[in-house]
Amino acid sequence: MESFDVIVIGAGVIGSSVAYHLVKKGLDVALIEKGGIAAGTSSRCDAVALICDKKPGIDTEIGYASIQLFKQLAQELSVDFEFSSRGSLYVCETERELEIAQGYVADQVRDGYDMRMVDPHELLDIEPYLAPDLAGGIWTEADSSMNPYKLCYAFVEEGKKLGLKVFDYHAVSEIQRDVQGKIERVVTDRGTFKTRKIVNCAGVWSPKIAGMVGIEIPIVPRKGIVLITEKTSKQITRQKVHEFGYMLSKFEDIHFKRNVSELVEKHNVAFTIEPTDAHNFLVGGHRAFKGFDIRSEIDVMQAIAERALRFLPVLRDLNCIRAYAGVRPWVPDHLPIVSEVEEVPGFFIASGHEGDGISMSPITGKMVAQLITGEPTDFNIDKLNFSRYKKSNAV
Amino acid sequence: MTNKETVICRCEDITMREIQETVERFQCSSREVKLRTRAGMGSCGGRTCRGMVDKLVEQLGGPPISNEIALSYRPPVRPVSFGVLGGEEK
Ligand SMILES: Cc1cc2nc3c(=O)[nH]c(=O)nc-3n(C[C@H](O)[C@H](O)[C@H](O)COP(=O)(O)OP(=O)(O)OC[C@H]3O[C@@H](n4cnc5c(N)ncnc54)[C@H](O)[C@@H]3O)c2cc1C
Repeated sequence: MESFDVIVIGAGVIGSSVAYHLVKKGLDVALIEKGGIAAGTSSRCDAVALICDKKPGIDTEIGYASIQLFKQLAQELSVDFEFSSRGSLYVCETERELEIAQGYVADQVRDGYDMRMVDPHELLDIEPYLAPDLAGGIWTEADSSMNPYKLCYAFVEEGKKLGLKVFDYHAVSEIQRDVQGKIERVVTDRGTFKTRKIVNCAGVWSPKIAGMVGIEIPIVPRKGIVLITEKTSKQITRQKVHEFGYMLSKFEDIHFKRNVSELVEKHNVAFTIEPTDAHNFLVGGHRAFKGFDIRSEIDVMQAIAERALRFLPVLRDLNCIRAYAGVRPWVPDHLPIVSEVEEVPGFFIASGHEGDGISMSPITGKMVAQLITGEPTDFNIDKLNFSRYKKSNAV
Repeated sequence: MTNKETVICRCEDITMREIQETVERFQCSSREVKLRTRAGMGSCGGRTCRGMVDKLVEQLGGPPISNEIALSYRPPVRPVSFGVLGGEEK
């Protein structure tokens, strides 16, 4: 039976990064994935690493650190994952939104981040195709983009050079423990592997893996549908543009009413657009709890198109060639779980990144490697500890 | 088929050679071939080349095609303008 220092379960962006950072520490690592690399959410998402969509505090700090790490990784990894730092633009539809945006920017600027308000004039300088009647916006200099599944390939291929063993098309079905409750073996449909340490990086499926050691993780799939435009030589936008109302679709505690149709309201649709290196644009965004269903619903597609036209009338004559959907690993407090599980020595969780998994993959991988080798982590990650859910259950 | 310069995916202009090299190098599924080369990601959504890519991968010894990894169909069936989709034009 093959034996490893650490077994990483799930080759999405989180597992790929964790595995890469672990082999870099000189450990013997297996990455076990039930499908191919990036079979799950990491190939059904958008492609940005932002700080402007994070809450002030640790959320933003970790997001910013990850962007800095991406810059190093773009040099370090031999596969090109199309990283670029182009900045991002929030647009505010109304004065009311603008007011809330100003408060948000003030908080982030106080913490030292390069964000600034943009007036309607400058808005059109930055993006000439935007609707002319918008109230203003926010420019965030650090915000970046990449190709998420190429990022997974990049981590895995570099990892392999350092000895990483990849077992794709192997589905984990059981985790066996010794008499003291310590991790002993990982059973898959195509063989059993020995290890003392497991990192559960199975995204929306991580509750199932955790169930194999009797642990309950409060991760729930949160769906998002994306529309793809045909290729066009028109520079519809130069970088990520999204409406500030996106914050309202993401966080339950941000309240303001948008003036939107019933359809848009019902499907929790907030406009976002991103250019890709292939000259298509990705148009979203949408958030809904629909279980694991990843069909592209026509009414949601309509709502996304309707909302996009409000901000970018130029899209009217452009074709939508495809739609796809993914499910984000959502947790109630919007902070990922990056920790060892006290009750099950050797069982680690790195999951629950919701809409920020791509963005947070480098720092997550780095910190899991630090946890496992017993080094201090780059950030105080007490808030990301799994035990927070036990406490809230106890109350 | 022997001519390696035969274009398999006409929308994205991907040749037989590119597909073959990708399968040989990465021992990968059709889905991974698609993501790596963009074959099947163009405006027809793989309706023209999907079957050919699946077959090529099978012949070249990639993972056997299961429901999970065969190339899928995604809506819309034909390209539709954002104007029509967004309800501005009927
Ligand atoms: C529409 C949409 C847009 C998004 N946009 C962005 C964005 O712009 N920026 C950003 O940072 N994030 C974005 N996200 C979020 C991001 O995609 C996720 O946070 C991220 O992909 C999660 O990665 P993961 O590795 O945790 O999960 P996954 O990529 O889902 O990986 C988990 C893996 O575990 C495997 N697995 C499951 N069960 C088993 C088993 N039993 N045995 C072995 N393997 C198993 C799965 O096959 C899968 O490959 C978006 C998400 C969506 C849906």
